[in-house]
Amino acid sequence: MVKTRNLSSGREVSGGFAAVRAWSRRHAFSLLSSLGTIARHPLASLMTFGVLAFALALPLALHVALTNVERLGQHWERLDTLSVFLHTDVGEEDVDRISSRLSTWTQILAVDPISPQQGMSELSQQLGLLDAENLLTENPLPWVLEITPAVGFQRDTLLARLEAEAAVSTVIVDLQWLERLDAMTEVLSRLVSLLAVLLALGVAVIIGNTIRLDIQNRSEEIEVMALVGATPAFIRRPFLYMGLWYGLIGGVLAWLLVAAALLALDEPFRALSRTYAESAGLLHPGQDILALVVGGSGLFGLIGSWLVVGQHLRRIDP
Amino acid sequence: MISFEHVAKRYPGGVQALSDVTFRVNGGEMVFITGHSGAGKSTLLKLIALLERPSRGQVLFDGRNVGKLARRQIPYLRRRIGVIFQDHRLLSDKRVFDNVALPLMIAGLPFAEIQRRVRAALDKVGLLDKEKLYPPMLSGGEQQRVGIARAIIGRPPVVLADEPTGNLDPGLSAEIMNYFLRLNETGVTVLIASHDLELIRSLRRRVLVLAHGQIIDDRPARARRDSAAGQGPLEPDQGALW
Repeated sequence: MVKTRNLSSGREVSGGFAAVRAWSRRHAFSLLSSLGTIARHPLASLMTFGVLAFALALPLALHVALTNVERLGQHWERLDTLSVFLHTDVGEEDVDRISSRLSTWTQILAVDPISPQQGMSELSQQLGLLDAENLLTENPLPWVLEITPAVGFQRDTLLARLEAEAAVSTVIVDLQWLERLDAMTEVLSRLVSLLAVLLALGVAVIIGNTIRLDIQNRSEEIEVMALVGATPAFIRRPFLYMGLWYGLIGGVLAWLLVAAALLALDEPFRALSRTYAESAGLLHPGQDILALVVGGSGLFGLIGSWLVVGQHLRRIDP
Repeated sequence: MISFEHVAKRYPGGVQALSDVTFRVNGGEMVFITGHSGAGKSTLLKLIALLERPSRGQVLFDGRNVGKLARRQIPYLRRRIGVIFQDHRLLSDKRVFDNVALPLMIAGLPFAEIQRRVRAALDKVGLLDKEKLYPPMLSGGEQQRVGIARAIIGRPPVVLADEPTGNLDPGLSAEIMNYFLRLNETGVTVLIASHDLELIRSLRRRVLVLAHGQIIDDRPARARRDSAAGQGPLEPDQGALW
């Protein structure tokens, strides 16, 4: 960016170090003057910040909600058990052997064997049949292993491993609603990405429009600056800084909005998770996400003002 | 320092502001440009500072054809020319201090030096106690003096003034002209467009008379205080502001 300006006047500071110093002073001037413009119009600036904060808070809040639902889903998955039906010819000693072997698998938290007798009595209770076991000369039920998976288990690989066991006849999983939940969170996370893209463009447009109005209000100032020898880059710079500030501050405000919402929801959420014998609070957005929101919004603010400033300065043609 | 060679300027829409203008101004000269309204006085000054480009002919500044200057070079030309307008062109939402400091901020000078030079310039025009005010709080004469301070703060070798006394009463006009005389005495080339013929005559400097886009008279300076002419500009850092 630093150009050595070889001027016949000889007054312009030349030489690398001095040029960098002058360059940084000009930047400091632009930076301060952009902040000054924001501070001089507090109401207008606040409204712009507000619009940006709400626009950015929406995808951020959805993202946070989604990560929390996904985590809850993991808890729900673990509360469900898999019913592993063994072949009818598998006897009690084999069952003990198999269940102690299965319980060593990392994906499995607990194995609870249910004998055919237990199964029959549970079944007859459920069906309202008294002494169903006495009506049947032979118990047709096999041994069943009730398996509680460990947190974060891979459903498909666990199923495949279980079904590969010689003694296993069938594995019954009633997790279809969980699959639906997974599919739903997938749809929602796609929606969050789409919203993020749309609102990032929205940020660029909002900031671009704000800067456009500001340029119109300050066209006289721009002309005077050009008149006393300001380069187009110097004239452009305060507006670019302003776009950056709008974006950054809007991003930070969006984060504060979401943080406040999380704070308000934390206690009810803890009450909810206590019913699952958990006491985890809400997950807050990660630092990478916050950096993405704030940095991305700053970047799009910069892009928005860049587009507008370039176009308008060409029109004013100082 | 400045020379026009068969310069014509026609504005879009067909207005012929200058038709064929040729003259030379040497470094350190003080020249008045006069003529009736619409004679092309403002256009002539605008062509020097490249606020307009000539339609025909050449405008030379320091031996360089400014009409051929690349766009990105224009700011650096303008930093060597201080321009003063009849309507001041001050920024009404910035303090007097910041208005005067603007050219130095643009040049990227250290703030301490900006402060020192702005104070010195405001002191010269007698407005040191007004540095914290906004231009609309000042009288017309005071605003014009702020404009002068801004034009000379960068120590340009050339100062152009377009009707600097246009809205002022005779007493204030003489005072403003006095600033220009003192500025010229330090070697700065000064071009002033004015139709205040009486004042111009009393100052006995060179006068170019424009009519219908042409120079119809070039009256040389009458012998008095010629010492400054031809001496060339002072070194930028030598001595005070002017």
